[in-house]
Amino acid sequence: MEQLSFSTILGAWIAAFLTLGIFSYLYRDNPFYKIAEHVFVGVSAAYWAATFYWTQIYPNLFGRLFALDSPFANMYVIDKGHEYNGLYFFPLLLGIMMLLSVFKQVNWMARWGIAYTVGIAAGLKAFGYLSSNVISQVKSTAVELFSGELAFFAMSGPSIFNNIVIFIGTISALMYFYFSREQSGAYGRFTRLGVYFLMISFGASFGFAVMGRISLLIGRFNDLILFSDPSYNYGTFWMLGLIIAALGYWSFQNPERTEG
Amino acid sequence: MRFLEDILIKFGSVDRRVIFVLIGLAVLVPLLSPVDLAIRPTPSSQKVYDAVDSIPDNSNVLISFDYGPSTRPEIHPMTLGIMRHILSQDRGHKIYITCLWPDGLYMAKDALKTINEEYDLVEHEDYVLLGFRPGNEAIVKGLASDLRKVFTVDAAQNPISEIPMMEGINNLNDFQFMFTGSAGYPGTFEWVQYGADPTGVPLSSGTTSIQVNEVMPYVQSGQLKGILAGMPGAAEYEKLIETPGIAIQGMAAQSYGHLVIVLFIILGNLAYFITERRERKY
Repeated sequence: MEQLSFSTILGAWIAAFLTLGIFSYLYRDNPFYKIAEHVFVGVSAAYWAATFYWTQIYPNLFGRLFALDSPFANMYVIDKGHEYNGLYFFPLLLGIMMLLSVFKQVNWMARWGIAYTVGIAAGLKAFGYLSSNVISQVKSTAVELFSGELAFFAMSGPSIFNNIVIFIGTISALMYFYFSREQSGAYGRFTRLGVYFLMISFGASFGFAVMGRISLLIGRFNDLILFSDPSYNYGTFWMLGLIIAALGYWSFQNPERTEG
Repeated sequence: MRFLEDILIKFGSVDRRVIFVLIGLAVLVPLLSPVDLAIRPTPSSQKVYDAVDSIPDNSNVLISFDYGPSTRPEIHPMTLGIMRHILSQDRGHKIYITCLWPDGLYMAKDALKTINEEYDLVEHEDYVLLGFRPGNEAIVKGLASDLRKVFTVDAAQNPISEIPMMEGINNLNDFQFMFTGSAGYPGTFEWVQYGADPTGVPLSSGTTSIQVNEVMPYVQSGQLKGILAGMPGAAEYEKLIETPGIAIQGMAAQSYGHLVIVLFIILGNLAYFITERRERKY
């Protein structure tokens, strides 16, 4: 049997405890779930903050302000392969202004940083969406309906039948969102068809969502099975026993809370 | 008939915890005693395989790890499969790894550890782990225009200028193929909009199941060269490269879990309609 280090076994036990703690919510809200939830939020926030600082702020911002050729080189140097660029004091200033939102007297300053970020994001998004989501997608729905080169029917890939479905589905679903005309009569029936296309799409999304959740459950079960191995000192079983015993005792002590 | 209807109504009001336990068992039992199920590649998975297969010899391939531990079961088998496929051909491809997610770095390190056990890779000769940079779509846009402004050092803080395989790599146009293992934002959408579309470099993607419906239009328009859709997509790719892994193992559990869910959806609907009919009657 493979001998694992103490830290590996401890990590596995903690992972098993946190996983089972989250699963325990399926029974009802309880302290184990709360512990796992709070640990997850706290660790995530701290991890993101540390990673962002060491991968972006430190090398790419301070790395440019305190580069080898900077005027402050005799005081402090961060050599990350950048040249000195004084313009980077501007994002530093905006970043500090965003942090000032916690002080009531000067919290208006945060708006400048937020406005700059929103402006940049809007500009970037507008370009990407227009090019890839609007123009390219409109182009791809302009399909051939009467091509002699295409087969009439194919289970997947281009065919006249599939192109007709794409054409009718696109137009009828778009028409459903045109509210300036009453959706009645032949027009109403056509937009109703659009609703059916949308429902099929939502149904497929729901199916994929369920599939995704089951995949994640498989991932957690795989880890729990691994941690139940003798090499991990049966970590899963110990943690499962602990949580079941504690929850059972707690429910026994508080019988009025066990419902629902 | 009435007896049968009474049973169905009872199924409709079964405690939700019973359903949780049944789904849990349906997933757990096939994991403990594996069952072989037939896996047939879908056209979108086949497209990814063909795209990787058609990369010219001695190409530079960029793989982006845009996911974390929460979606590891779905996407990790895909990135492993893609790396195995690229390396198994022994065609001199070089792998460049980036991450748009902070925890993607650890997924990449984990994948490299697994791959290094199978292939004798040399860091900075066969692959380079460039690492994570925060900035979402701005990073992809930056890579498309000037990679060296985004990455001056790799994940281990080695200067890019001193890494031999980074010679001649200045932006995304210097890659012959890109793949993103994507669990959401930032991910496939950003790579299509700011990476593949502006440069024309072929891009394939492995996504979580939940994203498939949104990403599929990119495949149909040719903006993406196929997608691997969730765990089934990963299993199909493992089948295509003939390297069974954890995705194929998980497919029986996936299928039985779905069966239980579908069964309860049918039972729940039947119970609802029977109850409604009885209420109308009386």
